[in-house]
Amino acid sequence: MRIVVAEDSAIIRAGLAEILADRGHVVVAAVGNAEDLQSAVDKHHPDAAVVDVRMPPGYTDEGIRAAIAIRRDHPGTGVLVFSQYIETRHAANLLGAASGSGAAGVGYLLKDRVGDVSEFVEALSRVAAGGTALDPEVVTQLLRASRRADGLGALTAREHDVLALMAEGRSNGAIADTLVISERAVEKHVANIFSKFSLTPSETDHRRVLAVLRYLGPGPADPLPDHPGSRSS
Amino acid sequence: MLRSPSPNPDGLTSQQGDETMQPPTRPAPWIARSISTEFGRRHVRGVAITRLLVAIAAVTVGSILCVSGQWWGALLFVPAALNLWFAYLMPRWKRALDDLKSGPRVRELERSRALVVEDAAARLRRIEQDLHDGAQAQMVAVVMKLGLARDRLGNAVAESGQRDLERVLELVDAAHRGAMEAITELRDLAHGIHPPALAEGLGAALAALAARSDLPVDLDLDLPERPSAAIEVIAYFCAAELLTNAAKHSGARHVTLETTHHPGLVRLRVSDDGSGGARIAAGGGLVGLADRVKTVDGRLHVASPAGGPTVVTIELPSHA
Repeated sequence: MRIVVAEDSAIIRAGLAEILADRGHVVVAAVGNAEDLQSAVDKHHPDAAVVDVRMPPGYTDEGIRAAIAIRRDHPGTGVLVFSQYIETRHAANLLGAASGSGAAGVGYLLKDRVGDVSEFVEALSRVAAGGTALDPEVVTQLLRASRRADGLGALTAREHDVLALMAEGRSNGAIADTLVISERAVEKHVANIFSKFSLTPSETDHRRVLAVLRYLGPGPADPLPDHPGSRSS
Repeated sequence: MLRSPSPNPDGLTSQQGDETMQPPTRPAPWIARSISTEFGRRHVRGVAITRLLVAIAAVTVGSILCVSGQWWGALLFVPAALNLWFAYLMPRWKRALDDLKSGPRVRELERSRALVVEDAAARLRRIEQDLHDGAQAQMVAVVMKLGLARDRLGNAVAESGQRDLERVLELVDAAHRGAMEAITELRDLAHGIHPPALAEGLGAALAALAARSDLPVDLDLDLPERPSAAIEVIAYFCAAELLTNAAKHSGARHVTLETTHHPGLVRLRVSDDGSGGARIAAGGGLVGLADRVKTVDGRLHVASPAGGPTVVTIELPSHA
């Protein structure tokens, strides 16, 4: 894969480059802010971009805004956002924008996950291939938020596990292996999840995950605020 | 300072189970400020009352004597006047002078306290940023390197099957796990020092807080302008503590978090449908909140009758 890395910490930037090179990928550009990220992606058209959320100048959500813009302008570039903290709102905005554009190709992970090199590189490959890679923590928080918003029938523990693994980007076969159940059982759980959310199951794995997560998150109707204040209820 | 604080903001103060943390009641105007203990105040009060009674007795007896033609009875008016002066008028006069002198000083103290409070908030924010850019980033880099080392060693062990390499792999694996735990601990620590979500404003931070809460939280935010950094931090930590309390102690099924910011006043209200009975008691979490709120002359009001519901209202000025 050809990859652009955007991370303001030089030491993490170097670490990422080392990991990716070790696994045979090419880091075509490593930049320290969102503006340089945009121009690097415009120039190199990489397969994937790894983007830190907090970057100069504001150190708030520059990475998320950049990620959404990249997904809009470069459908061929998957974006894996990684962050020191999980902010459900950021994840929901990213997913909302991704599902709005009709393709997945997004991921949102805690920074610590890079410690597990193989899993991190796998997640990046999934995102580059148009899939999803979501931190389990994000799924848990989104599910919690949905319970309160709609009083939906809560998912069973098993269905929750299946959805979390789906959101991480795994196939039915992989989910079955992880949970040590049959693939038929996984399919049944997936069907239940969809009926609980009154969604029509779609054909591809990525589309179905996005459908669920899009449904759970606030979605594109809740744009990132440009002003410091906000009003919601 | 609270601009025109309303003494009874909710119309709830008369209900059972109501508590409001406010500054201690002002002593009577004839007790000098320098007398600060309850014992001292009681003593002064006792002496003053005795003097007053003596003065009344002297005036009464003097008047009777005067009326009955004994002119020297008027002499009794002198000790009466002296007693009245010492017991009541002199302290009052002194106090008025004190106030005149201390007014500017109080204002100066308020100003310097505001500076200290804002400075402390800014300092904590810098510490969190330094942690994020320094120790946290370093640890992530360490974890990446250890992850790489572990994978390579794993391959080498699988190929060669050497015992000492296996031992090294175990060590690297343990170091990797320890470093991962350290990252989690650092993250929690940094979050406790200054919640990073506040960078995007109090509204965003409270929304994130509500998303993490164990209980369903209804959020009602009206924050057209940002209060000062120190006030945002106090409001955030109060909301966090109150949501935790509601989830832990009240048995509530639902919580509402309202936060408004209107000229000069930030009002944060957390209501739950739990069992009530929350008290501002020594050693309790609410005392800690009350103390924190008082550092900026804010107010904490708890309405929590037995059986619920519990409504905690916190009022803060826009600036420390």
